[in-house]
Amino acid sequence: MTLVLPLAIPWFAAVALAALDGRRPAVGWAAVASLAAALVATAALAIRVWTEGPVETVTGGWPVGVGITLRADALSVLFSLLTLAVLVVCLAHEVLSGIESRLFPALVAFMTVGLTGLFLTGDIFSFYVFFEIAMVSAYVITGYGGRPRQISAAFVFAVVNLLGSFVFLIAIAATYHVTGSLEMGQVAERIADVEPSTVILIAVTVFVAFGVKLGLFPFHFWLPVVYASVRPAVAAILSGALANIGTYGVLRFGADVFPRELEFSASALVVLGVITILYGAMQAMSRRTAPEVIAYSSIGQVGYVLIALAIGGPIGYAAAVLYAILNSLNKVLLFLASGLRGWLVGAAFFVGVISVAGIPPAAGFFGKLEVFRAAIEDASVTLVALLFLGGALSVVYLLQIYQHVYWRPGGVAAGGEASPVVLRALTFAVALVVLALGLWPEPLLAASRAAAEVLVGGPE
Amino acid sequence: MSLPARVSAALAALAFVLTLAGWWSGSPGIDLPWAPSLGLRLSFELDGLGVLYSLLATGIGFAVVLYSGAYVPLHLEHQQRPHRDEVRFFGLLLLFMVSMVGLATARDLILLFVFWDLTAIASYFLIGYDRQEAEARTAALMALVVTGVTAVLLLIGTLVLYAEYGTFSIPELVASVEPGGTVTLAATLMALAGLAKCAQVPFHFWLPRAMAAPSPVSAYLHAAAMVAAGVFLLGRIYPFLETSELLLDGLVVVGFASMFVGGIVALTRDRLKQLLAYSTVSQYGYVVVLYGLGDTVGVVGASFYVIAHALAKSALFLTAGAVAEATGERRLSELGGLRRAMPALALGSGLAAAGLAALPLTIGFFKDELFFQAGVERSPGIAVLTILGAALTFAYIGRFWIGVFLGPTRAPAHRVSALLTGPVVALGGLVLVGGLLPEPFVALANAAAEASLGAAASVDVFYHLDARAENLMALSAYAIGAAALAAPRVWRAAAETCARLGERLGPERVYVATIRSLNETSDRIHGIEVRDLRTRIAAILVPGGLLVLLGLLATPTAGAYTVGSLDRGDTALVLVLATAALAAIATTLPRQHLTLLLVAASVGFSLAVVYAFLGGPDVALVAVLVETTLTLLFIGVFALMPRASLRRLAALRTPPTRRWRDPLVGAAAALAAFLVVWGALSRPSVGESVAEEHVRLTPDAHAKDVVTAILTDFRGLDTLGEITVVAIAFFGIATLLRRGRLS
Repeated sequence: MTLVLPLAIPWFAAVALAALDGRRPAVGWAAVASLAAALVATAALAIRVWTEGPVETVTGGWPVGVGITLRADALSVLFSLLTLAVLVVCLAHEVLSGIESRLFPALVAFMTVGLTGLFLTGDIFSFYVFFEIAMVSAYVITGYGGRPRQISAAFVFAVVNLLGSFVFLIAIAATYHVTGSLEMGQVAERIADVEPSTVILIAVTVFVAFGVKLGLFPFHFWLPVVYASVRPAVAAILSGALANIGTYGVLRFGADVFPRELEFSASALVVLGVITILYGAMQAMSRRTAPEVIAYSSIGQVGYVLIALAIGGPIGYAAAVLYAILNSLNKVLLFLASGLRGWLVGAAFFVGVISVAGIPPAAGFFGKLEVFRAAIEDASVTLVALLFLGGALSVVYLLQIYQHVYWRPGGVAAGGEASPVVLRALTFAVALVVLALGLWPEPLLAASRAAAEVLVGGPE
Repeated sequence: MSLPARVSAALAALAFVLTLAGWWSGSPGIDLPWAPSLGLRLSFELDGLGVLYSLLATGIGFAVVLYSGAYVPLHLEHQQRPHRDEVRFFGLLLLFMVSMVGLATARDLILLFVFWDLTAIASYFLIGYDRQEAEARTAALMALVVTGVTAVLLLIGTLVLYAEYGTFSIPELVASVEPGGTVTLAATLMALAGLAKCAQVPFHFWLPRAMAAPSPVSAYLHAAAMVAAGVFLLGRIYPFLETSELLLDGLVVVGFASMFVGGIVALTRDRLKQLLAYSTVSQYGYVVVLYGLGDTVGVVGASFYVIAHALAKSALFLTAGAVAEATGERRLSELGGLRRAMPALALGSGLAAAGLAALPLTIGFFKDELFFQAGVERSPGIAVLTILGAALTFAYIGRFWIGVFLGPTRAPAHRVSALLTGPVVALGGLVLVGGLLPEPFVALANAAAEASLGAAASVDVFYHLDARAENLMALSAYAIGAAALAAPRVWRAAAETCARLGERLGPERVYVATIRSLNETSDRIHGIEVRDLRTRIAAILVPGGLLVLLGLLATPTAGAYTVGSLDRGDTALVLVLATAALAAIATTLPRQHLTLLLVAASVGFSLAVVYAFLGGPDVALVAVLVETTLTLLFIGVFALMPRASLRRLAALRTPPTRRWRDPLVGAAAALAAFLVVWGALSRPSVGESVAEEHVRLTPDAHAKDVVTAILTDFRGLDTLGEITVVAIAFFGIATLLRRGRLS
């Protein structure tokens, strides 16, 4: 039951919300409450997983492989918790600033179903189904606001990502053909016996599919226009919640299903990661609006996750998980702050800036620390130097945009009316969370370590 | 004084007293677990080095806060800014103070790093306090970029040590490090971070720019915080530094370079604060040289030098601020004769200047004595350089004080608050006290050196009225310095040339050019970012295909791809497949929408036939139904679309570049997909496929056929999911039709 609640609550909520007018604050708050309830249910599940080990069930009580396996382990509950928290905050933000579309709360709830579902499933086809639920909701949410640039962003987003989904589907079909199973555990077990030449092509296809979701160079061309055109809360949802599909996907499929292929292609992944970091940073450098800079920055930041994943082992995986989580929090903070004006907004944005740049006391510092640690344990001087370069570039572009927006007389934040206090308070609260996690990093470090243990197949 | 100023002053005074009390009582410090996963501890201890820098941070901080109580309201008034900006100023100053104390007392390298960056953040906001001015924004950015980026070297150095020794604790590391490549590498990286922070060549350029900050901030930054943190780090990691002679020699070189660069440029500056800023570069050069020369004298001398410099330099910066408030002038060439209008200030800053120039009876005399002693102990060549450095200091600081307070009055001064002169007189007084009664200061320096050296240090200083080397060196330094002051024409042109050369070719130019070229490159590559949909899709298909190809090339292909055999019965199937393939290729040709639709539909219908041949009549039926529905739907949509726009779209000519590109992209993608599928199909079907389980268990699911059982029971969750997908898509379309506002 603990495993079903995080899925069932948002699904029933979404169905009910679809019938109501989401523009009414009461409906919006009901949606927030239902997502919060799902968050609580997930937290209960997480505590059980952390204390007792993975929780598993097969739908309909069928044998493993016949029914759909739902499985919660330290990696999946961590991503579920993060994603739900992000969605609660972003939805509350949008409710507070006034929802414009009747269906927005329902769509966010549907997206929640898709995201928690794909984190909690142990079946590659049902992963795809939940992935589709999340993506289809995301296509519609991207058009939220209804302005021409948002509609056209939604069009680009949908076309490109449908292509990505199709690529993923090919990989799933091929996987099923060579293993005869859809259950991840069985797939991982049987695929180890299949010729490497076949599996590597399947693994590459999966990687391309997630690369599109993640916005890795060179699959990123859809991303900047989408993130920079949509409303700030939507950008926060896309980068803070939906993008977790990509990071979770490469971690789960890379380290759990295709570990042999991951190790085999480690150097290629590092190269792609480095290019992504440098490319994202160089594109972000001279962009003049905060959303554009954050969009390119989020391309670059994914590179760190990829590099940590490629380094692998307990340290590399833990670094990848930690970095992915912090990246998502940072992006939520930055996007939400970028849409506001007035006192404390600049401070909140600055916390996001130093967190992305990996400067303490913001939480992002520990992400950088772990990635550097992984690279140093890997004894790769070139990699450390390139990470250093990427970090230096990020300091420059982040501070440039911060000063451009918040310090320059006539900067975006200088003129105009201040945003409502509640919105600023909510955003500032996110900033405080980022600071608090930087001052007391133990929970995050321990959680990402536990998640990494799942991936290296450590003690369960 | 305003409330924030009072509160800050009280807190600073309290912190100062507590530090003193902690030193006397030998407080055990704090040690709490912080992040056990990484073995991090919240570990603080007031050792000698910690006491020294904490006392500086809180003591000089107290003086600066008092001064700011009068200065900041005037400053805000000049700029017509609201009074509440004062809160931010004092808040940041306190943050600065706390981070310095934390830095000085931290016993864990990660903790140290956190405070290290906190000082950078506090100074960033203080340097950029006048954020409406472009100069302040550039300066703040430069300070944080230079110190923040080099700080990462400190982190990397720390992690290198952690990888080797498995701990971040400084005492544990000090106990376990052994000379070798790892420690030298780590120490070099850390030392670089320290040198950048204390503005040593070639990182020195950020410091003069940071003069854009209000004067009290400059005083604090130079004397007791931020810049002092750089040399503090050298003292803290001295046990790692001394494992490599080469590294120590490197410090000597960098220190002397900074000493001369800073000193020569200081001789040429006209703006008071610029002169003092270059003087700081030069003065911390002394400290770096002392650490580089090492041994007990060097390390004690470095700590003692920091105290003496902090007292003198903070007084001089506050003087510059008070002079600017009183006269409105900030340049030596516009100032003069202020001793008449501001006698107290003249006295206080005179003592401070004498201290910096190392005249007897000031604390500065002993700082130079230790400096000379360390130089003599090393080699005659070094000794000569130390004399030249001291002479330079004598000359530029004399130029500063004489220029402001002696000679004819150039700018009239009006009265300023006693809070602006009081701290200067007090600090100047301390410089004198240190000259008459150096014991407590030397004791502090000895304690600090003990923390660096790991062994008790007991260096004593006295006035010796004999012809020992140090005294003769001091006399020659005064003589050279005085001669330079008396005959500026001799060196003026040469110094100006040096300064100009530095501006033309120096590291600041490199920094500015780098930032500019980064932005220009960014603009350029942004110009070629993909913007149209077709290219966006191509940008996924082509790299995706290349990666697949890479995977193919990287793995052994022998036996991986097999071609099955065909028998006669398959002829029809092959024909249908060929039809489907031809139809798929044909979809790229039509220009009319309707034709395109029909060709695309024929692909679907051909595939339906394939399913029928492969023994899936139910799947074939579904495919036919879907294909028919979709085709009819599209025809309906076309009928609703304006005829003119359809015709216009059909008449669009494909640009010549795309005529070749698009088919190639399509072919590449198709080839990659083909390879993946071929690879998978070359594997024989697995024996233990779940499909057989499905067939076997269908009766248990009370279903009449397998498909029903799978859809409604075994994988019912997927079915529910797909229904949800369709529902969401429906919502999306409905929203689109209502222009995003479904109501």
